[in-house]
Amino acid sequence: MMDSTLIPWLLTGIPLLGMLACLPFQSNPEGLKRSAVAWVLISLGSVVAFAGHMDVPPEGLLPLYLLPLAATISILGQPVHEHHRPSWMLTLLFLGLGLSVLSTQPRISLLSLTLLLTVIAGLLYRHHSALWPRSWWGIGTYGLGALAAATSAAADAPLSSMASLLACTVLLPLVPFHDGHLTALTRLPGSLPSFIVVLLPVVGLHGLATAMPSVPDIVAWTISLFALVGASYGALKALAQSRVRLLLAYGSLSFFSILWWFAAASRTATPRSALLVGTIGLATSGLMVAWQVIRTRYGDDVDPQAISGLATGMPQYAVLLSLLALAAMGLPPFGVFAGFMGLLLSSPFPSLAGLFVTLLAWLAASWYIMQMVQRLLFGIRRPELRYTDLLRAELASLLIVVLVLLALGLVPTTLFASEGTLFEHLTIGDSPTWNR
Amino acid sequence: MTLVLLVPLLLLAAACIVLFGRGGSEYARAKMAAYPVGAAFLGAAATLYLVTTQGPVSIRFYDLSSVASFAIPIGFYVDRLSAVMMTLITGVSVIIYSYSTGYMYQDRHARRYLAMICLTDFVLICMVSSANLMMLFLFWQVLSYLLYVLAHNHAHPGTLAGAFKTFALLRVADTAFLAGIVLAYQLYGTLEFQDLFIRAADTPVMLALWPGIEMSGVTAVTLLFFVGAMGKSAQFPIHLWLPGSLFAPTPVHALLHAGIINAGGFLINRLAPLFGLSSTTLHVAFVVGTLTAILGASMMLAQNDIKKTLGFSTIGQMGYMIMECGLGAFALAVFHLIAHGLFKATVFLNCGNVIHKARQEPHFPHVDHQTEEPGLSRLTWFTGFVTTLFIPLLILLVTHGVLRIPLLESQGTVIFLFFIWITSSQAILTLTRLRQVASWKVSAAMLMTLLFIVFVYLFAVESFTRFLYPDPEEVASYFKAAGLADWLFDLIIVTATILTVAGWSYIYLSAHGMSVRMPAWIDGVRIRLYLPFMNRLYADELYALAGQTIMRLVHQLDKRERGWSQ
Repeated sequence: MMDSTLIPWLLTGIPLLGMLACLPFQSNPEGLKRSAVAWVLISLGSVVAFAGHMDVPPEGLLPLYLLPLAATISILGQPVHEHHRPSWMLTLLFLGLGLSVLSTQPRISLLSLTLLLTVIAGLLYRHHSALWPRSWWGIGTYGLGALAAATSAAADAPLSSMASLLACTVLLPLVPFHDGHLTALTRLPGSLPSFIVVLLPVVGLHGLATAMPSVPDIVAWTISLFALVGASYGALKALAQSRVRLLLAYGSLSFFSILWWFAAASRTATPRSALLVGTIGLATSGLMVAWQVIRTRYGDDVDPQAISGLATGMPQYAVLLSLLALAAMGLPPFGVFAGFMGLLLSSPFPSLAGLFVTLLAWLAASWYIMQMVQRLLFGIRRPELRYTDLLRAELASLLIVVLVLLALGLVPTTLFASEGTLFEHLTIGDSPTWNR
Repeated sequence: MTLVLLVPLLLLAAACIVLFGRGGSEYARAKMAAYPVGAAFLGAAATLYLVTTQGPVSIRFYDLSSVASFAIPIGFYVDRLSAVMMTLITGVSVIIYSYSTGYMYQDRHARRYLAMICLTDFVLICMVSSANLMMLFLFWQVLSYLLYVLAHNHAHPGTLAGAFKTFALLRVADTAFLAGIVLAYQLYGTLEFQDLFIRAADTPVMLALWPGIEMSGVTAVTLLFFVGAMGKSAQFPIHLWLPGSLFAPTPVHALLHAGIINAGGFLINRLAPLFGLSSTTLHVAFVVGTLTAILGASMMLAQNDIKKTLGFSTIGQMGYMIMECGLGAFALAVFHLIAHGLFKATVFLNCGNVIHKARQEPHFPHVDHQTEEPGLSRLTWFTGFVTTLFIPLLILLVTHGVLRIPLLESQGTVIFLFFIWITSSQAILTLTRLRQVASWKVSAAMLMTLLFIVFVYLFAVESFTRFLYPDPEEVASYFKAAGLADWLFDLIIVTATILTVAGWSYIYLSAHGMSVRMPAWIDGVRIRLYLPFMNRLYADELYALAGQTIMRLVHQLDKRERGWSQ
């Protein structure tokens, strides 16, 4: 039996080793992609094999499983092209750092987080364009997050927990620290956006589980307020977008804000929170991969308004995109719905108004996501477009996302956390402010 | 137990048979799938017999004492109400599916369409046999999406717009339903039907909505559920999706109007013990139902498209059904929705044939044979008068005086008697529009109609009420909860009576070529009202305007913000 202290190092080391092992394939993009996929699968295997021997964090073990899965999906969904080589290797690097944050002891975890945020900020700087002046805000936000994580590692309580909370607001986007999330999802190259939309929120939730219980009332109240503002703001902005990546970024911001509202009310992060965060991330990731399929066929700067009628020309793509959209809207039987309902039924509500805003944000997703999907799939078939259905790797990538989201909607939460943990956080009917 | 599971599984199997298989065998597979659909009907009928003789069947694939698997708790609870609905749905499905295989023959997407029909039936069966509110809500939402998919011809802009409108409006109602579920769980700690009813009755809770404004917990919960029911049952003002979906294939309409639209009535009946605890919600249901019935029927009269006419007829009927729920006559509402479902499915399937025939024959329907029909004889009118006005009055007096049923204290009995009268009047007035061949035949038909309706109400509806709600005290408690203030109840009865008698007189006088003296302003109002009702009260335009205004505001906010889309 392996010493349990070695397991986190092993989980961290495998993807990093994979990144090094990919170096010889630099001149062969197909070989590099195969190698990267193989290493993330090995990483997934190691998580499955060793997760049971680790201490279960408050949010359960689901985030650990999701990271290699998301990396697999992101890499598989990218077409083979020499421009994507760095993003595949960086995906492995981020996977290693992410697993380190989730599994190692707090101080090393925070150092890994600092490194992760610094690398992302650096990457954003590298891809900064004068046409996108707003991306400075994103770079600054990740810089602030890295600084907060470093401060948290170095300082003592209560400064460390406040700094940790600040880092969480950058990772799991919360208004007004959401610019990083928007920049990363729109500016990072290749497979990185579709991986980062799972990685950072999941890592943020891990920090939240530790930081939230010690947060003062006034801070929790402020977070709650920002969360409601964020949920409405994200939904409104998503409604106004015509560009798919921005729409997905704002939509996911709206859903993540809902999680913040629940977290502020319950002062903790439960396995159900992990289910919601993980599935929102995964559904968004799937939609980004689906959008990548369109970009691969019709160019990076393709206007979604110029595409229609994919349902007849690309039936496999149409079915999978529809299912992904259902999942992202929070419809059953997918994981987002299960996570959302789990939190709705198990968390206390500070106010009915908050519940109202949350439900409106959930409802708005049915509008903007449905409109996007409808625009792409239905309408008139355009003679000027060449319709090519999914290639094998793309099909595998999207199919995995759909199946995982379906499985997460149906399997009991006990698979990722003990029932004791669930009962510990259950606070049914505990809402004295509006119930007498 | 296996039988209960077999019904939805057979429908799922039918969907799989249609969907999967080698190319070229689509039509054969579509024909083959009719057998499991038929078998599902037989299974549902057997389930009905089983639960009638042996009591409700309950199957749960989750542990009530554990919260671990609570996110989507799959289970089935089949009582008499569920079994009746299962039989209705599968029965209608057999007809619709068989019809569809011929109707959609050679359609490019017939395979997807037929599979979706089977899948919709599966979802409907799971919904009506749900063991708890969560599972019911799960399938309720899936149904909202399936209605979008069933629009079928998504390349057609009108179809697509209608499908999106359907989905958007139903999602609004779904959100209210979800809020109701969350509130119910927070207040009573359970989503199991029976436990929920017991706890809601035992635990009176008040909610402080605003400082100084309080509402009973059960009223808040049932009002939210009612909004959910309003969506699926196309109640005013969330009714627009139904006429908006007119581009869908005709068999879809048959399924929609005979099965899916009954979901609202089913939900209210499923939660009858909860609704019975809140007089406020029942009164709201009565008002909304009445308004929908009046507006639906009025708009139906002014439409010039067969599908829209039938669509608004359904809206009116659904309003009538919800009104019955609002009066506490829950079983009557179920009886109504079954009768309406069977009737409307038949009419819609026939309507498909008429549309096809009209496309093939440019002069169909024939308008060149219209001749002036002779007026009705005095005998016919006398029979009509006796059957619609005199006999009901006699029954009322006999009931009150001889049988000594205290009508003035029992709104429930009056409601039943009143519905007998209204229905028979409506049916007999319809007979006057027939091309009569001899007055004694029409007179006999009128008498038979009256006898038939009285018989159906007194025996079938009464028996059906006892069948669904065997405890008379429970039924009485619903009527009591729905009881209106005496003056209001009397006013409604008197107004409806005057309107019916006035309608009868107006038709009589018009049929005899007599001029009906109407004040000029009434004629003016009638003419002015025709246009708005023909244009469905401009509700589509109002919704479109609201949508455009919201989107304009959203875009303005987006531009003002330092956002990314600039």
